[in-house]
Amino acid sequence: MTIINCTLPFGIIRDINNYSKIINEILKFDITFNILKFSTGSNGVNLLLDVPEDKIRTITESLKKNNVIVNKKGRVIVLDNCIDCGACISLCPTEALYFNGDYKLEFSYEKCIGCLLCVDSCPRYAIEEM
Amino acid sequence: MTKSYSEINEKIKNGSAVVVTAEEMVKIVEERGTKVAAEDIDVVTTGTFGPMCSSGAFLNFGHSDPPIKFEHLWLNDVHAYHGNAAVDCYIGCTRMADIRSFEYGGGHVIEDLVSGKPIRLKGNSYTTDCYPLAEVDTTFTINEINQAILLNPRNAYQRYVCAVNSSDKTLYTYMGKLLPKYGNAHFAGAGALSPLSNDPDYETIGIGTRIFLGGGIGYVIGEGTQHSPKSRFGTLFVKGDLKQMTPEYLRGVSYEKYGTSLFVGLGIAIPILNEGLAKKTAISDAELITDVVDYGVPRRDRPKPKQVSYKEMKSGYIELNGKSVKCSPMSSFYHAKKIAETLKNWIKEGKFFLNPPAETLPTDTVFKPMKITSELKFVKDLKKKAETCFDDCDIKLVAEKIIKNNVNHIVIIDRDNILKGIVTSFDITKAIAEDKKDLNEIITKRVITTSDNDPLDVAARKMKTNEISALPVINEQRKVVGIITSEELM
Repeated sequence: MTIINCTLPFGIIRDINNYSKIINEILKFDITFNILKFSTGSNGVNLLLDVPEDKIRTITESLKKNNVIVNKKGRVIVLDNCIDCGACISLCPTEALYFNGDYKLEFSYEKCIGCLLCVDSCPRYAIEEM
Repeated sequence: MTKSYSEINEKIKNGSAVVVTAEEMVKIVEERGTKVAAEDIDVVTTGTFGPMCSSGAFLNFGHSDPPIKFEHLWLNDVHAYHGNAAVDCYIGCTRMADIRSFEYGGGHVIEDLVSGKPIRLKGNSYTTDCYPLAEVDTTFTINEINQAILLNPRNAYQRYVCAVNSSDKTLYTYMGKLLPKYGNAHFAGAGALSPLSNDPDYETIGIGTRIFLGGGIGYVIGEGTQHSPKSRFGTLFVKGDLKQMTPEYLRGVSYEKYGTSLFVGLGIAIPILNEGLAKKTAISDAELITDVVDYGVPRRDRPKPKQVSYKEMKSGYIELNGKSVKCSPMSSFYHAKKIAETLKNWIKEGKFFLNPPAETLPTDTVFKPMKITSELKFVKDLKKKAETCFDDCDIKLVAEKIIKNNVNHIVIIDRDNILKGIVTSFDITKAIAEDKKDLNEIITKRVITTSDNDPLDVAARKMKTNEISALPVINEQRKVVGIITSEELM
């Protein structure tokens, strides 16, 4: 499970119904996830979601469709069009991007600090911020 | 001990050929010695998969009705070269699309074509009596056109350099994103798996050599452009039928702020004809050495601070100026290995045979630099005297100097003539508007500078990328020796 930090801005969330609508849309995908933290701040409702790693994309897309701000200074994910060249590895200060024994590229979400230095180093647009 | 091509091919035919990859050969020779290895091993396979900017494809579309003779044509908005017969063209991988340039280019067109995707063809013509059609706008797939021939004038560099950046800003180059102050290092080439490094004297690789190209069968058709055998930077000119190839081994790529290219998968099988070849194909990453090159210096002859082995580069870090610098490849070892394995299996299954080259590659050509007949101009040729003020002077004095000398930039220095900052006429206007009295509040202290020996184009690019109109010229002690402004460059 991995953690997504997101903000539901006040302009979008006026009451419990708006909130439920957004959350229900994620539930439609039949994904089990935990809400670790629920807080209100000056900008809106802040949520810390604990979601399955392989469903990050689905959830992020669903949230973004509803104008939810998903952790802008976020971590990165490596998409399928990666060709294992490794041009991103030298940019990563925390060894979150690395080769396994077969020289296939691996990404460790736990080690990533979201500096985003790697994003524009990828010649395949295979790295996306979340 | 010697073996002939026909002996090896006979073994391939009856399934008894012993084939290993160049990586496996290193260990075999280590354990058995070259003499035994030469007897035991028949073929060593190699592979490489990296960005090869000198790649492209010839396509022939067949004739339209009424017929057209293209003057200009575009494939998915990428301009293709037309200077041949009516409906031939060459699509080069680094040509970028007219729209979405830097994101999509000729390399992507080739990947899409090989993937079987429809490609939009738009073209126009000045029309002739025999070719009256003025415009074409259609789509096609690879199976609907006549020939689709990958034709790459320079592939499979024997080895390549290791790029670093000594400058104080991030550089976006064909060697990827290079962080300032030697922040990282990038290298290319497949090391011990590199085809030409395993046959460095080109005994078996030459015109007509059958190879793995883009997942299909291709041929070496000669030395590549910039072939530089003496410095161990040999290259190959290759061709192959795109219709046999797969997108897994032909990938369009885009390097940020540099442009597009094509990853090409290429593998060569080397017959072990003699003991010498057994020895050569056993070359290891530790024995393959290349230069570290400083791309922070925007000149042809860049500084080369040291040499490193592929073993060190592949370890993930190189040692430079007493520090450990993170180092990663631009080409994929995973795919290079897969290519060598695939070629090995083709031979084992009796699907791929070896042939002697019709002619071997030259071993004595030299890679010459471009001769420039017009005189190269430097900053020192066009700089002018900098109008300066001390860093503790009054804003009013700065304003007076701007008016008196009819300039827009005043360079701020200390008593030793060391650069402290720059003030523009706009900064003065802003100071008045915001009622600022202290010069230090309006000085730009992080100044982009140039030096006497920078070529003018380098200075011009500094102004363009930083959106500024002047550069103080400084010497090695950071003393101000002049100024160059966009007015001089116009």
